[in-house]
Amino acid sequence: MSQRRIGVYVCHCGGNISDYVDVEQVAREIGAEEDVVVAKTAMFTCSDATQSEMEDDIRQFKLDGLVVASCSPKLHTLTFRAVAERAGLNPYQYTQVNVREQCSWAHTDDREGATAKAERLVQAGVARTRLTEPLVPLKVETVPRTLIIGGGITGLRAAIGLADIGIEVVLVEKEREVGGWVDRLATMHSSRQRPQELIAGLREAIHHRPGITVFTEAQVIAKGGTFGNYEVTIAVRRNEDHPISIHVGSIIVATGFDVYQPELGEYGYGIEGVLTLPEFQEVLRESEGSLKYHGRPVETIAYVYCVGSRESEDQGDAHTYCSRYCCTATVHTALEVFKHNPKMRQYHLYRDMRTYGEYELLYSESRKKGSRYLKFAPENPPSIQKAGEPKGEHLTVTVHDQLTSNQELTISADLVVLVTGMIPRENVDLVHTLKLPVGKGGFYNEIHPKLRPVETVVDGVMLAGTCQNPKTAAESVAAGLAAATQSASILKKGQVQLDPQVAVIDEARCNQCGECLSACPYEAIASRPLTDDDKGPRRYVINAATCKGCGGCVPVCPVEAIGVKGYTPDEIRAMIDGLLREVVAPV
Amino acid sequence: MEYDTLVIGSGISGMESAIKLGDMGYRVLLVEKEASIGGKMILLSKVFPTLDCASCISTPKMAAAIHHPNVTALTYAEVEKIRKLDGRFQVEVVKHPRFVDEAACTGCQQCETACTVSVPDQFNSDLVARHAAYIPFPQAVPKKAVLERAGTSPCTETCPAGVKAHGYVSLARSGEYEKAFQLVLQSTPLVGTLGRACFAPCESECSRGSLEGPVSIRRIKRYIADDHYDAHRRLQALPEITHTERVAIVGSGPAGLTAAWQLARKGYPVTIFEAEDQAGGALWTIPAYRLPSAVIGQDLDNLRQIGVSIRTNTPVHRIEDLFDQGFSAIVLAVGTTSPVQLLVAGAHASHVDNALHFLKAVKTGVGTRLEGMTVAVVGGGNVAIDSARSALRLGARVVRLISLESREAMPAFSWEVEEAEQEGVFVLNGWGVESIGESELHLMGCDATLDREGRFDPQYDRTRVQSVPADRVIVAAGMRPATEAWQSTLTLAGGGRIAVESESQATSWPGVFAAGDAVSGPTSIAEAAGAGKKAAEAVEAWLSASAFSPGPMRLPRVSQEEVLARQSQYALRPPRGGNKALVLHPHDFTEVEPALTESEVRDNSGRCLDCGVCSECQECVAACPADAIHLDAREERFETTVDSVIIATGFKLFAADRKPLYGFGRFKNVITGMQMDRLLAPTRPYHTVLRPGDGKVPESIAYIMCTGSRDQTVGNPLCSKICCMYSNKQNQLIMGALPLADVTVYDIDMRTTGKGYEEFYVQTRAMGTTFIKGRIAEIVEKDNGNLVVRYEDIDHGGQILEQEHDLVVLAVGVQPNHDVERFFEPGVLEFDDYAYVNEADEILSPGQTNVPGVYVAGTAAGAKDIPESILHAGSAVAQASAYIEGRRLPV
Repeated sequence: MSQRRIGVYVCHCGGNISDYVDVEQVAREIGAEEDVVVAKTAMFTCSDATQSEMEDDIRQFKLDGLVVASCSPKLHTLTFRAVAERAGLNPYQYTQVNVREQCSWAHTDDREGATAKAERLVQAGVARTRLTEPLVPLKVETVPRTLIIGGGITGLRAAIGLADIGIEVVLVEKEREVGGWVDRLATMHSSRQRPQELIAGLREAIHHRPGITVFTEAQVIAKGGTFGNYEVTIAVRRNEDHPISIHVGSIIVATGFDVYQPELGEYGYGIEGVLTLPEFQEVLRESEGSLKYHGRPVETIAYVYCVGSRESEDQGDAHTYCSRYCCTATVHTALEVFKHNPKMRQYHLYRDMRTYGEYELLYSESRKKGSRYLKFAPENPPSIQKAGEPKGEHLTVTVHDQLTSNQELTISADLVVLVTGMIPRENVDLVHTLKLPVGKGGFYNEIHPKLRPVETVVDGVMLAGTCQNPKTAAESVAAGLAAATQSASILKKGQVQLDPQVAVIDEARCNQCGECLSACPYEAIASRPLTDDDKGPRRYVINAATCKGCGGCVPVCPVEAIGVKGYTPDEIRAMIDGLLREVVAPV
Repeated sequence: MEYDTLVIGSGISGMESAIKLGDMGYRVLLVEKEASIGGKMILLSKVFPTLDCASCISTPKMAAAIHHPNVTALTYAEVEKIRKLDGRFQVEVVKHPRFVDEAACTGCQQCETACTVSVPDQFNSDLVARHAAYIPFPQAVPKKAVLERAGTSPCTETCPAGVKAHGYVSLARSGEYEKAFQLVLQSTPLVGTLGRACFAPCESECSRGSLEGPVSIRRIKRYIADDHYDAHRRLQALPEITHTERVAIVGSGPAGLTAAWQLARKGYPVTIFEAEDQAGGALWTIPAYRLPSAVIGQDLDNLRQIGVSIRTNTPVHRIEDLFDQGFSAIVLAVGTTSPVQLLVAGAHASHVDNALHFLKAVKTGVGTRLEGMTVAVVGGGNVAIDSARSALRLGARVVRLISLESREAMPAFSWEVEEAEQEGVFVLNGWGVESIGESELHLMGCDATLDREGRFDPQYDRTRVQSVPADRVIVAAGMRPATEAWQSTLTLAGGGRIAVESESQATSWPGVFAAGDAVSGPTSIAEAAGAGKKAAEAVEAWLSASAFSPGPMRLPRVSQEEVLARQSQYALRPPRGGNKALVLHPHDFTEVEPALTESEVRDNSGRCLDCGVCSECQECVAACPADAIHLDAREERFETTVDSVIIATGFKLFAADRKPLYGFGRFKNVITGMQMDRLLAPTRPYHTVLRPGDGKVPESIAYIMCTGSRDQTVGNPLCSKICCMYSNKQNQLIMGALPLADVTVYDIDMRTTGKGYEEFYVQTRAMGTTFIKGRIAEIVEKDNGNLVVRYEDIDHGGQILEQEHDLVVLAVGVQPNHDVERFFEPGVLEFDDYAYVNEADEILSPGQTNVPGVYVAGTAAGAKDIPESILHAGSAVAQASAYIEGRRLPV
């Protein structure tokens, strides 16, 4: 084994690690390890000052391997690879050892044990680093074009944003018209324009931008190619037999939401006069002058909040999340109702009034205008009944109001509006085609809400708007433009680098059994006949551009002919040996 | 350097904007007001709802921003003005001086350790102190030190001798008496003398003076001097003679001695010529009860140690003789040695003496006793007072002081006059001497001493006369320089004063300089010493043939209002120690002012308010291994032009003392949410969660939501969006840190609306936090520091209840940062009703302001949490780059 020059840095993480692991001892022990040239601790290895120190050490000690024992690789692998790269060390000769999530945080009750475990984890990291080889990322020329899926307000605005930065856009909308939910709303707060005018303005803007191509009644049915140069297939309803194939550099998913549809009987849903918020919006949109429902004048409205939201986990497929937009939307709708009839009696039956930020002003205004707010406890929800004769077709709402000493109050209402929230839109085919990560609540998941809030684990596939979680229109547009920014920041560079940690096949060992073919979820392994005879012997090759380095093919190979670069069987075995080896006390 | 975009503010929104623009290939200028980028997020404990460590999320962004090839990050800098210019923007940036060379600083923190000034650490929400020399926080980017200097402290700024008064007080506070002595020596060798006989203008200017009384700055210096001299310490690191040009100093009073000292320190061979038989000049006229002779000797010994040669009994009659002897430059510092004579009958009688002669004779021990005599001292200045009080000590039965001036107009310090009276001197005001008889003095009334132009012109009223008995008369009617011998060779001003060019102290004779009272007429020791120092600098410039520039200019004096406004709380600390013990008819020349004890010195120096923040004690300069500290650094300004601007100036937290009901600032165990975040952070100040009042680990913690939000009484009807979630986060962290503590949250509505937030809230409840709907009516502090909270329990029928907690956390909300208002001319950039930057089209163009090309990112446009801020920044970036591209398109 050739002599290596490895630097090891053990992080205090403020106290996140050092409160439970004796990091000084870890550094001391590992410093005695063969091939370890430098072993240090630092208060925050990720701090700029320590990064600079590492760079200096890499140059001064001519390091050919770097190990940082700190937090999860999800957080800082890229940080320290960048350190290595800046100092002239191949970034793939860096190993991150997780002594926080996997050690200090897990063993807060056992400092000695945690310290011993940390030592072994670091030993394993050093063992792997010893075998690392320089890897060079594959470079792919990017296509300066983005596919946007979904023609709601988010997708439309993102399309314009991208076109204005000089990125071409292909926009795919499932429905006959673009416009989405906003186009169906009666009113919107924060806007002087009517929702339909907003959408018309966006359509007009798109029409004037030659860089934007819109396909309506269309769906994305396949995705091939690689990050930076995906080949997507779009099926358009008018011409289903001839799907369109287009190369794009990135994809923005802006497929939006669905509204919660109460079950019959849920808060009286099904009784005439019990409507969901979107249904009530339709009524409002169609009303001129005084508000009428089925020809009958409306004088009293009761709103019941949190229908289908903030549900208890005990219910099977509960919507445990808060739908965010509905409190404000309802308060605003009630203000619009006052425009039809300033004397309207409006009762709001709520749990917590979540008119966050500046929307609090709407809440204040609605109280001033005469909206009454009654607060119910989730374990004691209001009930809605059809009032018997002689009250005609009125509805009776019964509620225990916490704001008035928990008294039982009865409201006779003409309409009951169930404030229903957003739910994730079912989109099984798209999820499958794009391999979208679906979160617990059914919305799509970003990589990290703060570090990479619009990116998914699939490189170059981004999320925007309410497909991620409930948002207002303004928030969705901001997210759409943020996704446009992320897309442009990738495509404007002209090329992307693909992770070189991909699988390779040792053809000398391969017995052509073909087991690996079915193990690959990315269709990155191809088999080709060795001779002209299609039925003769075959060779198996891996497309480095499509391989994700997931390693799924490695264990299925019966002859150990496949390995992932950077995680070769030798490296893994060395890590296991490192973990098992007793810690050698320094001399 | 040209930039495409200016990003103002480097919090999470600013960093995100800069990085993304940089990634897209635009060149970004990122300007940050603080000494590190990172904003508020880096100071947090963890971030909701993922409970990621805030550092771990921030540091990669900070590193990415600072290392980005397309991003130039300026810290400790501010945008002064932005002007629109043909669709582009002209930007004026001021880079504040760090007083630390960023390139040389290694971030080793030795300056921080050496610094003698402590101020509240804003990066720890004032829970602990930091030094004036500091690195903002452990993860700071760049990790470079900065010296906080608000200006020159009033004491230092006012000192005529240029002594860094704040510096030595600060060193004394740290027990570094010898270093303090050395610091005074940088200005003058007369440490002991000034410690006793200076009129201490520093104390008159002391900011503490407007509170319980000034810091006893002078007496601290006396302690420093005594500490050095009593230990018989020798001066260390004496300068070597590095120059061949010899300098002659004529006169050895405070001006001459200081000039000699300064030149010798610079490596010049210096010789002092003194006409009298001992060096010291006017110091020998200060009575020993104010300045013991031994102290003068100790101060003079400093000059001898440094190698200054003092030739006594060597009057200089002809200046050219000195040039002939090979001196290259000459400083005339002969003081005012000629007494002004009274022009009245009997003035030359044998029982009439002049005060200078009298005082010197007394001090050098050749004066006669005045046992049982009746003495009249003529004059109203400090010399007259010294004479009168000396006469008492020599046994005089009656001492009268005859002053032309009214009591108020007397030139002597009022406290001097009062002390003289306490010792038994009779002061007669408004009398002039008509004639001097053998045993009495004939006086006439004097109504005024100055004419309308303020010139000396006594108006006598000869109808008002009296005679007072006087066996001895001592005349203290003024002094003038004895320069008659030089009047043919030097240009003189009125009263025999030597005329000089005011900046450079140069006389009409090239190479001859003058300083002190010989130039200015009678002043004080400190002023003379200051003049001597200035003359030395002029001589050095002349000898090195360089243009004279007065030493490094001081920073402007810090205003007292600013200093007092900075003190959120001060303990009442009256001055302690050193009261003079005055007796009637004292019999000897023992010092009247006792020395401060060491404990009194510590106590007094501890009262210093550190007006200028940095005390200029020079400890950091000495400690820095990289010679990176440059106290003479000054701000730099530059202009650049950019295509677009992103404002990311963030928010301010609500100042909790604006809600007096909750007692923040009055009750020690009422803290803000940000303070709790610091207590929970990995870089936490106390290494655990404890309450600041007494360090007790809290067992029952209350959260008061909506502090400063949804509250018309403080003018903020808006919801701050973040407080519900940060409180939930802290609740969960507290349960980890203090598993036995009870946490109660008093809220109106729990607003947990973001992705995963509601689930987080449910989890907080499940972990044991009690949520009570109800606003707080009152908080009362108990003697043990616990707090009784009175509230309406809405959930349970709206009863009014009380609950005792040992720590109350105020969930303070978001307020606009008004810094942004001065970037543009008034009216250019629009703000909303609550002073946030207005978004012209909130729905379709989030982040677009009313000015095309100017965008707002993050909380500068209103409350947002971190994920929202990041997305908002992305939105601003998309539009900023569209604007840049639009401008570049061929029309």
